[in-house]
Order: sequence, then C-alpha cells, then structure tokens
Amino acid sequence: MRLDAIPVIGPLLAAGADDRVFDALLVLGPVVIVAIRLLGRTPVSLALAVAYTVGFAAYILSEAIR
Amino acid sequence: MVDRLGTIARDLGRMLEALAGLIFVSVLVPLVWGEFWVVPAMVVSGLIPLVVGLTLRRTFEHAADPGRLHGMMIAASGWFLVAAFGSVPFLLAAWTAQLDPGMLDVPARFTVPGTRTFSTLAAFQNPLNGFFESMSGFTGTGLTMADNEAALPHTLQWWRSFIEWVGGVGVIVLTTAILARPGSGSLTLYESEARSEKIHPSIVSTVRTIWWIFLLFTFFSILLLWIAGMPMWDAINHAMTGLATGGFSITDNSIATYGSAAIDFALIPVMVLGSIAFPIHYLVLQGDLRNLYTDLQTRWVFGFFALGTALLTAVLLQQGYYVTESVAVAGVVLHGSAATLFQTVRYALFQFVSAASCTGFQTAGALGSGWTAPAQLTVAFGMVVGAAAGSTVGGIKLIRLLTLVKGILFRIRGVFYPSDAVRTFRLDGRALSDTEAAQEFEEAAIITFLWLVFLGVAAFVFMLAIPMGPDAYTVENVLFEVASAQGNVGLSSGITGPGMPTVTKAMFLFNMWIGRLEIIPVLVLLRGLFSTLEVYD
Repeated sequence: MRLDAIPVIGPLLAAGADDRVFDALLVLGPVVIVAIRLLGRTPVSLALAVAYTVGFAAYILSEAIR
Repeated sequence: MVDRLGTIARDLGRMLEALAGLIFVSVLVPLVWGEFWVVPAMVVSGLIPLVVGLTLRRTFEHAADPGRLHGMMIAASGWFLVAAFGSVPFLLAAWTAQLDPGMLDVPARFTVPGTRTFSTLAAFQNPLNGFFESMSGFTGTGLTMADNEAALPHTLQWWRSFIEWVGGVGVIVLTTAILARPGSGSLTLYESEARSEKIHPSIVSTVRTIWWIFLLFTFFSILLLWIAGMPMWDAINHAMTGLATGGFSITDNSIATYGSAAIDFALIPVMVLGSIAFPIHYLVLQGDLRNLYTDLQTRWVFGFFALGTALLTAVLLQQGYYVTESVAVAGVVLHGSAATLFQTVRYALFQFVSAASCTGFQTAGALGSGWTAPAQLTVAFGMVVGAAAGSTVGGIKLIRLLTLVKGILFRIRGVFYPSDAVRTFRLDGRALSDTEAAQEFEEAAIITFLWLVFLGVAAFVFMLAIPMGPDAYTVENVLFEVASAQGNVGLSSGITGPGMPTVTKAMFLFNMWIGRLEIIPVLVLLRGLFSTLEVYD
C-alpha cells in the first residue's frame, strides 16, 4: 500500500523522510500523549514517555553512524 | 490592476477558509474541557472567515496565477487579515461572558467584576486587545494583553498556542519557499549543490514536509516537557509555543511559575530546534548529522547562543543578582559560589536562548526592573539578531549579520589589494559572483537599516506616550520592549499590557507585522495599495 493512499495522514507521511521509524513515531505520538493523559503520572506512563523521547534521539544518532 | 487584486483576493479567500478550519477544529477543546459556553463564540468566529473566504475565492476564481510580486503582497496582507479574523474568538468569548445569556451557564469567575480572572477576559471586549493578541500569536511574538494567562478559559489558552504553532509553520514556508530570493540569505545558503534549498520542488510538498518535521518535533517536545515535570496540558501548550519560538504561556509568570531547573533545561532544546533552519532538520532526520556543523548558520546558532550566554552570565555575576546560599541540583546540594554560578548560568542560558531564538519565555521575573542596563541590552542584542533564516525565529537573522560583517571586512581588505586584483567573496564556503555578492550584501544592509529605522520610530513613539523617568520606564526598557515586539520575541520589561496607551498598541501591531515579514513585503504591499488607490496622482 502506498503511503499517500492512507486516509488523512497519508500525504503527510509521504512527504516525510521515507523512513518507517519516523513515520511510526509520528503516528504513535498522539496515541502516547493521550495514553499518558489517561494514565496520569505513573511509572508506566513515565516509561512510555522516556521510551519515545530516547528512542527518537537514539534513532537519529544510529542513522548518522550507519 | 483589477486582475492583480483578483489574484490576491482569491488567495486571501483561501487563507480565510483555512483559518475557519483551524477555528472549527479548536471547538473540540471547549467540548473536552466542558467549556460549553465558549462553543457558540468559536462557531460564529469560524463562520465569519469561512463566508468571507468562500466569497472571495469564488468571486475571483479565474484570476491569474500569482507571481513574485503577488507572493509578497499576499503574504503581507494575508498575515494582517488572518490576525484580524483570528481575533474574533477573543472578542466573542469576552462578550459572551459579559452579556452572560443564562442558558450558556458562564462560570461566575468570568462574570463577577473585581477579580483578576474577570478583568483578564474582560480586556478582550476591546477589539484592539484581541487584535493585538492575535497578531502577537500569528507572528510568533508572544507579547500579551492577558493580565493572568492562567485565568483564561482553556479554549482561549489553546487558541493562543495554536495560532503561534500554525504561525511558526507559516513563517518557515514564507522564508524557505515563498520569499526566498537572491539576497534573502536563505536562498544562497541552501541553493548550493550540496544542499537543496527547497526541500521539495513544489510549495505544496514543501509545506507537507515542514508539517511532517514540525509534528514529529512537537510530539517529542511535549513528552520531554512532561518528563521534566510539567502537567500534560501545560506541556502541550508550551511545546507548541516553544517549538514555534512564539512564547505564549498559559501561566501567570511564564516559565518562572514552575521554578524548576529541570523544566528550564528541558525547554532549551525545544527552543533550539525552532532556531535551526528546517531544511537542515530535514537533512539531519535523514541521518546527515554533519549539517549541524558544516552549515554556516547552524554552526553560528550554537556559537551565538554560547557567546551570548557567557556574556550575560558575566554581566549578571558582576551585578550579583543571583547570589544564592545553596541549591539542590539532581540530588546534589551546591553551596556558596558554586550555587551562585549555577543559578546565574541557568537564568542567563535560558534568557539568552529565549531572546535569540525569539521565543520570549521568561524565567527572570525582574528582567525589566532588576537586571542592569548592560544585562538588558545583551538580551536585546540577541533579540535584534535572532537565529537562522528558514526557521521560526524573528530578528534580522544571523546570516544577515554574518553577511554584513564578512562584507565589511571584504571591502576593507580590498583597499590593500591592487585595483586589478581578482578577489572572491565567499559565504559558507561558496564563491559568489560579483552580482550575487552585491545582492546579498545589499539585501542584508537594507533590511538591517530598515529594521533599525522602525525600531527608532517605535521607540520615539513610546517615549512620547508612556511615563519616562527614574520612577517610571527607562530608555533601555523602551528599547528592550520595542526590540522584543519587532523581533517577534515577546520578552517584556513590563511595558506591554492591556493598560498601555492605544497609540503604543497600534505601533506594536505594526512592529510585530513588519518584523514577521522582514519589512520589505509590507512596504511592497503599502506601495501597491497607494498605487492602486492613486494616492500619488
């Protein structure tokens, strides 16, 4: 399936850096934020937020090294 | 002439339709927060630009395609018009609370006079205050007419953050795609073969790519601020306004409200992200981290922030403003001079990055009254210069300062060479032809000159209109405030507020507008209007 065929966010994803990890982070971002809002400040929500931010930064570094 | 106006009117119509869409999307916020009394105000606020926009677009549907001149006039008039129509939610929400129809169940805190909550919202009954707030938002300035931002309904808190966020994307598109021209800095920088100036060849795909980057960074920033300790609603709003380097806050004392070093430091990368040209972000996200130091502007963003912070730290240390006995940092307690140094660096770093990135978040509460003139002027210099072209920042931009400095050195050194010597002007490692070099230097000089002229005009107006003297405002306060408005920064020395004279509000509206558009498009628009209205005949 082509990215730009996905409803609503398809054209946006297609305009990105052709990278599935970043596209996944873009789609998961609002989901993680809503989940954290519902969970409140708990160890689980904190782990989710840390995983997202550290994952984002680490992926950029790993791409640069590769 | 009629054809030119038709082209402009059609595109303005499209912008107003988009604005209506933004307002309608924002109706979700009062629904989520249970502020149902604001819903009618938001719906009506959306219908007005929708009807006007539809009318304009359909009436001039067959007008000619826009050219470069149209681009400038559309950008200048569009920013003004969108800010004007974007002020309606403030106006209607304030009047809804004032008129208080019983069926809407407006909370008593907004309807009973005598409290700061009441007066904060009531200030927007004055259309000029709403227009000021909206212009401040869409231009990413952050100066506010709200006395206590925390007292605003969540809907208006969101609307302020949302318009800054959207305005941030708008200015990136403006500088990288619409207004990029020989001599505008961004073109020369990114048009070289090593980099692609326009992220994609067409403006539509460029806009999508910018949104792709902006959304990714927004989610990252929200979560970073939440991890640092901000409540989620605060994190969402401050991430949006921080990344857009706008600086609207939803708290009464900006970031100083939290009194948290962790939040201060978490906001630094958010503001820095907004200060780097987005074409560079795109390359970095593709794994090419080298651009962070090979790109002249980006290298200088980091250098400028570091130098400014060091200078401000030295000035504040000399003043002894942040003398601290002890402070706890990540579980370690610092005492004496170590504590003082930490606190001084913390405030200097935050305030200089906030100023030079043109964000305008404030942690130093007494910036206008407590800091010495050298400290205020150091921050003001950061506001005037700004950071990278092609980012969300204001000011004259680092690339123009560098062009001017290099150009001056080039001319001076030229005196020592024989008249027939062949010399090449280099910018960011790229050899420019005589024509290109002249265009770059001329544009940088013209914009810097106009910037300083309008800064002087506004300062003069303010010194006439507000109380000046030892017990009132000082010249450095005025220069600071005007540089903040025209640089689209939003730091305040205490002058800006709903009680300021009308003439100064009008002046700042103009300063914010020309500052965002880098002056020339506004002058082109005014020249076009005068010409159309045959003012010169």
